[in-house]
Amino acid sequence: MMKFLKLIRRNLFRNRMRTVLTIALLSTIFFFITVLMGILHGFTSVTDEGLNRLVMSSAISVTTRLPFSHEQKLRQLPGVVDVCKEQWIGNYYKDKRNFFTNYAVDHETFASVFDDYKVDPQQLAAWKADRRGALVGSELMQRFGWKVGQRITLTHNIHPYDAELTIRGVVHHPVNDSSLFYHMDYHNESMHNAGQAGLFWIKVKDPKLLAPLSQEIDAMFKNGEYPTETMSEKDYQAGVVAWMGNIQLLFTAISSAAILMVVMLAAVTMGMSARERVKEIAVLKAIGFARPAVLAIMLSEFMLLSLLGGVFGTLAAKGIFRVIDMTKLTDGAVRGFVITGQLMGGCALIAMGIGLIAGGLPAWRASNLRVVDGLRKVV
Amino acid sequence: MDSLVEIRDVHKTYKRDAFEVPVLDGISLTVPRGDFVALMGPSGSGKTTLLNLVAGIDRPTSGSIIVDGREIGRFSESELAGWRARHIGFIFQMYNLIPVLDAFENVELPLLLTTLSKRERRQHVQTALSIVGLGERMHHYPRQLSGGQEQRVAIARAIVTDPTILVADEPTGDLDARNADETLALLESLNREYQKTIVMVTHDPKAAHHARRTLHLEKGRLAEAADSHEQRLEASA
Repeated sequence: MMKFLKLIRRNLFRNRMRTVLTIALLSTIFFFITVLMGILHGFTSVTDEGLNRLVMSSAISVTTRLPFSHEQKLRQLPGVVDVCKEQWIGNYYKDKRNFFTNYAVDHETFASVFDDYKVDPQQLAAWKADRRGALVGSELMQRFGWKVGQRITLTHNIHPYDAELTIRGVVHHPVNDSSLFYHMDYHNESMHNAGQAGLFWIKVKDPKLLAPLSQEIDAMFKNGEYPTETMSEKDYQAGVVAWMGNIQLLFTAISSAAILMVVMLAAVTMGMSARERVKEIAVLKAIGFARPAVLAIMLSEFMLLSLLGGVFGTLAAKGIFRVIDMTKLTDGAVRGFVITGQLMGGCALIAMGIGLIAGGLPAWRASNLRVVDGLRKVV
Repeated sequence: MDSLVEIRDVHKTYKRDAFEVPVLDGISLTVPRGDFVALMGPSGSGKTTLLNLVAGIDRPTSGSIIVDGREIGRFSESELAGWRARHIGFIFQMYNLIPVLDAFENVELPLLLTTLSKRERRQHVQTALSIVGLGERMHHYPRQLSGGQEQRVAIARAIVTDPTILVADEPTGDLDARNADETLALLESLNREYQKTIVMVTHDPKAAHHARRTLHLEKGRLAEAADSHEQRLEASA
């Protein structure tokens, strides 16, 4: 087969414009497939962070809140180290386009429960001491050009008050650097002391306790007015994904549709390419190239074409998202985005599969061409 | 001369929709080794079909074709492909070179099916190209060559494997008079100097003049009279 590489390579680029456009099409599709799969990987991958955290929310619905009183009951459970209540706020800065994630959290327990968020101790103390203080992710500070000590107003969106805050510290996180945190007390006061929060983050002593504790917690509140649903942070993230409309299924469907589309387009291109060479294929067969050799040469060419498209698209995605931080780009909505070697290998295999499927029929037809039929026009 | 090709009562019928079109009607013919046969006849007389049968790219409806002692009609598709690679050299009217390969690579194509090393292949190609007088143009692409030069590359491709038979279908049909003469002189020299057996289809009596003998086909049958080079020489004297 190596002897025919030159012929395969030359045939591949005989119509450069068509080849380049086909590769560009395949590259574009594979770029998006790679990105989608990378995002999906982020949603479903296990991270070390949160391995010792449970998330408790309402069992009724995602918008139903839980009473503060649940906290004391949680603290009495053996294995519970600390609890931090959290409420997603959804305010924005000046303009609705300046949207970012902002939460009200328990200022006393935030650093203990979220020990993966790093804050300068003095800034943390200053934040704790200021009822209207805010901790801001470093990326967010850069985005708006904020300074520590600056006063900002977050305009209300869902909750009926504008949050007037003073930035007291900068928070650093390996994945989420673009969120803002302020005091639950201030939020609760602004909500007329409703005494409710959406989530309770529970830090446990040992990751082995995650499963039994979550069952115990839910059993404890099962028959009350506010039943709960408790899960590990990882499962919670997966649950959020499910709540968002089964993104995994959506992404897979989009990718499959894209692959199907590219198979059909590639089949047209490859069929055209094979038809243009009927005479040449007949000549090859006349001079002794047997059916398997013709089939192998044609299929190799088509698979190489697809592979080039797949590799370029995947490498482009890898290169671009090495420079651009997906988490920052999506304001923390997409975490753990990574284009692994396994993903790239998978894309290469899919690309070759596309070449095999799209080029299969034209190659098979070419290999079965009767020499006299192919030569008829010229002989 | 011992016989190289024996064609015995060959019939060939093509099916066109519901109709059967007889093309060859009981052809029997012997081509001795080292012969140079020109097949002439009007369009539709079956000369190209006969050539295709001898070359093993088509099969007779009935009858047998024995080449070098082997009945090629009994070969499987893959056996026939292998047989063609070893025994047949094709020369087409429109040259049919692969446009993306240069002259050297075009001539090398049939050798890719052999077990020859790269160095051996290069030697064979250089020899073939020098025989046709294109040793200096081996890295030119078909589009960079004249029609006559393209046909000489095609002849080099046909002879590079040292085949048993050269089959040429209207080899001068697309050439001007000078290039046609050069091509025919080349074929004649391949026959006389290298003892290549050649079967050539042509419309052109001048081209047929270069062959040792000419066979005429009429409506799928060989005409009674077949004139030989010697007879023609006698006639012209």
